Amino acid sequence: MRSRSRLFSLFAVLGLVVAACGGGTTAEPEAPAEAEAPAGTAAGDGDVTTIGFWVAFSDEARLGFTKEKAAEFNAKYPEYNIEVTSFASYNDVFDAAVLAVDSGEPPGIIHFFEAATRQALDAVGADGQPIFKSVTEAIGGRDKILDEPVVLDSVVDAARNYYTVDGSFYSMPWNTSSAIMFSNTDMLEAAGVMEVPSTWAEVEAACEKVMAMPNAPAGCITWPNHSWFVEQSLGQQGELLANNDNGRSGRATEVYLTSDGMLDYVSWWKGLADKGYYTYTGVQRDWDGTANAFLAQEVAMLIYSSSDTTFLTNSGKEAGFDVQASFMPYNGEKEYVGNLIGGATLWLLNGMDKKAEDGALAFMNFFSNPENAAEWHRITGYIPITKDAEALLQSEGWYDESPNSKVASDQLAAAQNTPASLGALLGNFVAIRDIITIAIEDILVNDLDVAERMAQANVEANKSLAEYEALFGG
Amino acid sequence: MLISALVAAAAFGAAFFAKTPRHRKPRRVAVGAAVGLAAAAVVPGVMGPCGFAAEASQVDHVLFFGLMLTASWLALIVVRMIYDRADGAAPETASMTGEIRSGGFRTKPWVPWLLLSPTLLILVVFLYTPAVQTFTLATKLARLGAPNSIDVCLGNFSELLVADPVRVVAYPLVAVAAVYATSWWRRATSRETVSHRLAEVASTFAVLGIFVALYAVFSPGGDGQVAYRPVYVTTLIITVGTVATGMVGGLAIAYLAFRNIRGGGVYRTLLIWPYAISPTVAGILFFMIFDPTAGIFQYLAEAWFGIDVPNYRENAVLAQAAIILASGWKILGYNILFYLAGLQNVPTSQVEAAVIDGASVWQRFTKIVLPALSPITFFLLVTNLTYAFFEIYATIDFMTKGAPAGKTSVAIYEIIRVGVNNGDLGRGAAQSVLLFIAVIGVTLWQFRTSGERVTYGGAG
Repeated sequence: MRSRSRLFSLFAVLGLVVAACGGGTTAEPEAPAEAEAPAGTAAGDGDVTTIGFWVAFSDEARLGFTKEKAAEFNAKYPEYNIEVTSFASYNDVFDAAVLAVDSGEPPGIIHFFEAATRQALDAVGADGQPIFKSVTEAIGGRDKILDEPVVLDSVVDAARNYYTVDGSFYSMPWNTSSAIMFSNTDMLEAAGVMEVPSTWAEVEAACEKVMAMPNAPAGCITWPNHSWFVEQSLGQQGELLANNDNGRSGRATEVYLTSDGMLDYVSWWKGLADKGYYTYTGVQRDWDGTANAFLAQEVAMLIYSSSDTTFLTNSGKEAGFDVQASFMPYNGEKEYVGNLIGGATLWLLNGMDKKAEDGALAFMNFFSNPENAAEWHRITGYIPITKDAEALLQSEGWYDESPNSKVASDQLAAAQNTPASLGALLGNFVAIRDIITIAIEDILVNDLDVAERMAQANVEANKSLAEYEALFGG
Repeated sequence: MLISALVAAAAFGAAFFAKTPRHRKPRRVAVGAAVGLAAAAVVPGVMGPCGFAAEASQVDHVLFFGLMLTASWLALIVVRMIYDRADGAAPETASMTGEIRSGGFRTKPWVPWLLLSPTLLILVVFLYTPAVQTFTLATKLARLGAPNSIDVCLGNFSELLVADPVRVVAYPLVAVAAVYATSWWRRATSRETVSHRLAEVASTFAVLGIFVALYAVFSPGGDGQVAYRPVYVTTLIITVGTVATGMVGGLAIAYLAFRNIRGGGVYRTLLIWPYAISPTVAGILFFMIFDPTAGIFQYLAEAWFGIDVPNYRENAVLAQAAIILASGWKILGYNILFYLAGLQNVPTSQVEAAVIDGASVWQRFTKIVLPALSPITFFLLVTNLTYAFFEIYATIDFMTKGAPAGKTSVAIYEIIRVGVNNGDLGRGAAQSVLLFIAVIGVTLWQFRTSGERVTYGGAG
């Protein structure tokens, strides 16, 4: 008996150790990046100001770029140390930042996404002070901070207008994209489709031909079931998602998930799925699965974020087919109003001292100076965020070399500047997006009535928004 | 309404002590009533009588009253234990491991507390305080970064249930009463009689009745209620599936690997490996295997058998089966480990005797090996259930993200979706309290029922 219980406890301890090793490493955010400032300067000058920069990227390309630029900045300004920390998601960054503010060790800059703009504006710490400070206000009309020229005025209109709230440009745009379509032109041409389709009807016509091929692929078109694409379509159709001009002339207090534009779009989507043209990967917000389906030539067309233009174009070439980027298909029966942006901005934390704040501002402007913004665009496909960066790329002949990279910028430039095409500012937007995504999955998978299911989602979304307004609007 | 609730709690307290020796009865009953009243009063004392407020729904009333009665009940149990101890009738706390309970500290009474204090401190800081905060949070509408929060009393709970107070009360009560009645019947009848067998069958059904009652109590959605019934059903399917796969598979493989085969040690070591893998990695592995675009399974099925396997994420049954397979496989190594250890302790003399008596392999397995393994099976049942409740989040997140349409969204996945991803702290906390209660309930039930049937071999 004795030996048995000892054996048991041995196994139990073993089990705990293995469990700790196995599970422990997954949830932890990546450890703070080593301070990459030259060690000599840090040691020689005791006055180094450390500014935390928390980003929601963890992949080599994008996080690598960030760390590289931070190191360059630190080398240029030895009195500053920009410390990059990587998190798994935007929400993680935000939650950690709010908690860090309350515990007294906040970062200087955080990376937060467009749909949560309202949430960021509304956020306050335990002391009731706003968590973030307007970048425009902090710059205060200066055109140079430290040695960095201010690039805020050069930011392209679509991004500027999106992030301008109550007349103030609040956060510094960084990764900005739009939804565009990528086509496997080899496959389309084989099916006899010579022009990449641009309207819903043309997509259907093209799909009919593609699926009629003897060696037809598994499906014709796919895109992630992400509310962002729904919002893009509403923008194209000039339809509002929320009241008070999409929450831009006053706080949004009502969402419209049963508008004609919404029902038309979801019905079109469901129609494509019913005919077997649209391939649903079965997972919400499935960026990887949809891109893989396109690259494996299981579909001919992919509606996606322009953020991966470079990757998709090159990967297609490697897989042996030509990829052509084009505007996101729109409802040809309505006037085209405009697509909106997506992506994220850099938010300046409130309550830093003057030196730290200037360091943070200088870094933001350095980070998006024409050279850096152009490089960022080239390696990813996010749009060049400033007009100067666009001009630089133009002069370098980049667009002639890779025409796909210009599509997103062109699409955003073609948009009318209306509340519908700007996109909504909305409380609880993440939860409301979730409600939309779930409803659409329900419709696609369980073959439900579009109007009925969206009406149900509308009730849920409005309840969610009302609760948010009760907490924040007061 | 509050006063009648308090009176009811006092009556409950009095009734609780009604079955005491006659000579002490009046005092005990009075104490019971007082304790019942006081403990019940703590609830509105701490939260305010919000459950009975005018704007609260009838389900809120019911839940609030239930909470008050639960507080009374817990306090009364403690008081009864104190009484029992004072009476010298030390309660039978049968030791699980069969260790000798004599001895004890021959020191001052505070010494054990001093020795325990580091552990207690850590528990208080990292376990009890967050637990209490979760309970508080569960009664609020709250978000991180919000300037204020709103008290919603038990609204976060009542919105998960059907909006009919009668059903909320009646179904669970009937089910619990049935469990008690059938177990009483089982005890009242003598073994090996027809009525005893009937009682055994009936008590099994009564336990299943609890799950049916809960199904009826959770809201299917609509009317401003949250659709929690689908989450409940999904959790039930995936939990039962995972535990069954993991334990049956674990025992079967352990039984095979335990035989004297060449290189048995290597097999046995390799078989334990899946346990060293985190749920995340298990999710990624099975994602890679079953992925409809890039998966090896799809490729082989098509190449070898010409079968076009449908996308498992679009089909509820396939998706649930895939999750069960992945999470069952992940816990398999753990179960094998314990069963291998257990099999070493199966008394060989009994097995040999059975062989001589001409018992078949199957008979030896069911009549000797299984009963000898029952303590391990019982232990594994508890740990496997805990695993299935809490640790398969990452597996689901990688394989299906709750698809299709929430058919693989189990309770823990839902908690993280609501509380973390959507930032709705109050609802997330409320759902985790619900899971907490479920785990306590399941564990209590296991200790009561399985405990009766577990044999601890030569413990004595």
